[in-house]
Amino acid sequence: MVREVLIVEDIHKIYDGKVHAVKGVSFRVHSGEIFGLIGPNGAGKTTTLRMIATLLKPTRGSIFVNGVDVVKDPINARKYIGYLPEEADVYTRLTGYEHLLFYARLYDIENVEETVRFGAKLSGLGDDLERRAGEYSKGMKRRLLLALVLMRKPHLAILDEPTSGLDVYASVRVRRMIKKYVSETGSSVVLSSHNMLEVEYLCDRIAFIHNGRIIDSGSVEEVKERYNVLNLEEAFVSAIERVGGRK
Amino acid sequence: MITGEMKTLLWKELLDLYRDRKTLFTSILLPLISLPLIGLMGLALIEQQTVNIAIVDLDRETYTNNLLNITLSSKWIVENLTRYLERYGYNVTIAENRDVVENPRIDLAVIVPEGFTVNASSLNSTAKIIVLRKAGVQAAARAEATIYSIIDYFSQNISDAKINALSRLLNTTIKPEALRKPVSAYTRIVGTFGQKVSPEIVYRNMFARILVLGFSFVVTPAASFVIDGIIGERERKTIELLLAAPVSPQTVIWAKLIAATILGLITALADIAGLLVYMASFSLALGVSFTLIVDPLLIGLHAITAFFTILVTISIALPFITRTRGIRSASNIVGIVTIVALIFFFTGFYVDYIKLPGDVLTPLYLIPYTHSILVIQAYILGYTLRSFLHILVLAIASIVILYIASRTVNTEKILTAQS
Repeated sequence: MVREVLIVEDIHKIYDGKVHAVKGVSFRVHSGEIFGLIGPNGAGKTTTLRMIATLLKPTRGSIFVNGVDVVKDPINARKYIGYLPEEADVYTRLTGYEHLLFYARLYDIENVEETVRFGAKLSGLGDDLERRAGEYSKGMKRRLLLALVLMRKPHLAILDEPTSGLDVYASVRVRRMIKKYVSETGSSVVLSSHNMLEVEYLCDRIAFIHNGRIIDSGSVEEVKERYNVLNLEEAFVSAIERVGGRK
Repeated sequence: MITGEMKTLLWKELLDLYRDRKTLFTSILLPLISLPLIGLMGLALIEQQTVNIAIVDLDRETYTNNLLNITLSSKWIVENLTRYLERYGYNVTIAENRDVVENPRIDLAVIVPEGFTVNASSLNSTAKIIVLRKAGVQAAARAEATIYSIIDYFSQNISDAKINALSRLLNTTIKPEALRKPVSAYTRIVGTFGQKVSPEIVYRNMFARILVLGFSFVVTPAASFVIDGIIGERERKTIELLLAAPVSPQTVIWAKLIAATILGLITALADIAGLLVYMASFSLALGVSFTLIVDPLLIGLHAITAFFTILVTISIALPFITRTRGIRSASNIVGIVTIVALIFFFTGFYVDYIKLPGDVLTPLYLIPYTHSILVIQAYILGYTLRSFLHILVLAIASIVILYIASRTVNTEKILTAQS
């Protein structure tokens, strides 16, 4: 039976009583599903993901992860969540292995060794894990960070622009890593991205977000059919133009 | 109680600190070498300072007081003054007239005025030597003190000669001291409760005052470390991933504060080591016992007080640190807190807080740094119980302030302050 891992109901975020960044966003993510949140810069993607990750409190609305109320019980909810921020970086003086060990211990996982082993395998960094992470390339750092988030197999992984700033080769490795992880563990992923190729490759369902509102959603094929276009990029532009967005 | 999460966070913080050799090196080396360096450099530079002294003999006379059978020559005064001053390392020149003082190279002029020998050998007058010292020349002030002591020595010798001559004339025994200084006073140093103490206690007191001053050196690196731990981690983009872990932001911040306090403690120990080197050289120079100057319990008290002083400082600064955008603005705000601390510690160097009247001291009790100072000052004056009481107050204050400050920590504030 398909289970709902994430339920987002009519969430709003108003910063300092002035900036209404998210205006009534609702969506659901099922187990084993990769859900893409797509929108231009400043659309409210990161704010939405941060609210799901318990880092920001919604001004209104509710979020449930694995049945746990994220707003009321954030510490408990975090046990089911893995969150990779868009601009995350590594501790330059710690080795890759020490990063895995640190995060495995921090999440109070019973079998730390096994988790670290899985994280090491996921990252594909091999012997480089013994080196200080400050010496890694951007792609290696991103793979390590992704492994930190995914190694304990969270029910829901939230990945904010997982390939942002990476070259083609590094991006492909990260995408393969996500795809393989979901197929092997059956976990769910919510990700945001600007890269439509990435979204088409990874996501089962998507939602277009614009000016803090979801303007359309569905499976990749459904959305393309709805706008009668060949690729997601054109569907995205049409969706924004339909609501009177950027011209 | 330290939880498993706290242990893990501390492990990461301390590992990171251990590998940050530059921070460790500067935190240990600076306080370790600063005091001995100040002492040695000061001494070395003082020795290198040249002071140009001109001596002007306007009297140029040799006079004999026939009644007393005493002969005094201005030339003798000038020659001996020159000899002694040169022995102390001063450059001495003999000048013809007092216009020499207009020479900018001359720092100090000693004028032996006309009639000096007559007045000095007389029974009903006194002789004056005029010292002209250039304003603002520090070394000239030191030379002036030397000149006064040499003149005092001459004066005593002339006085002795006069009294001995009178004694011969009156055919009676006169002790020069009985005429010259019939009343004198002397000081004996005793403890707070009147007990006999060794002269080293004076130096021990000075040591304690420097220890109070030493608190100034430890609060700054610890505060910088906390700023780097919070704002720096945000700027290096590592904090968001950390805050998403199932630990409260308070626990994350406490781990950073404890790590910073440990760094502060290392700095305090380096500071004490530097002070011990300084005091060891001091005791060697003065020939006083090092063990009597340095009290191990006092050093222990200083270390504990330093720990809580650092904790209280970074706890006060914490709500501001978490709400600022960058390292620079956080440093400025923390600078205000550390300046308050520095003001207290500098005044603690020369003010006996323990002697302040109740109506002055009571409001000062509200400032935790007052207790830091009083721990040391109360102990050195023999009020051991009161010293322990101030440590207790400081410890409670630092824990309460830390608790209140950590309640103000908010993940949202930490994250959104950057945008």
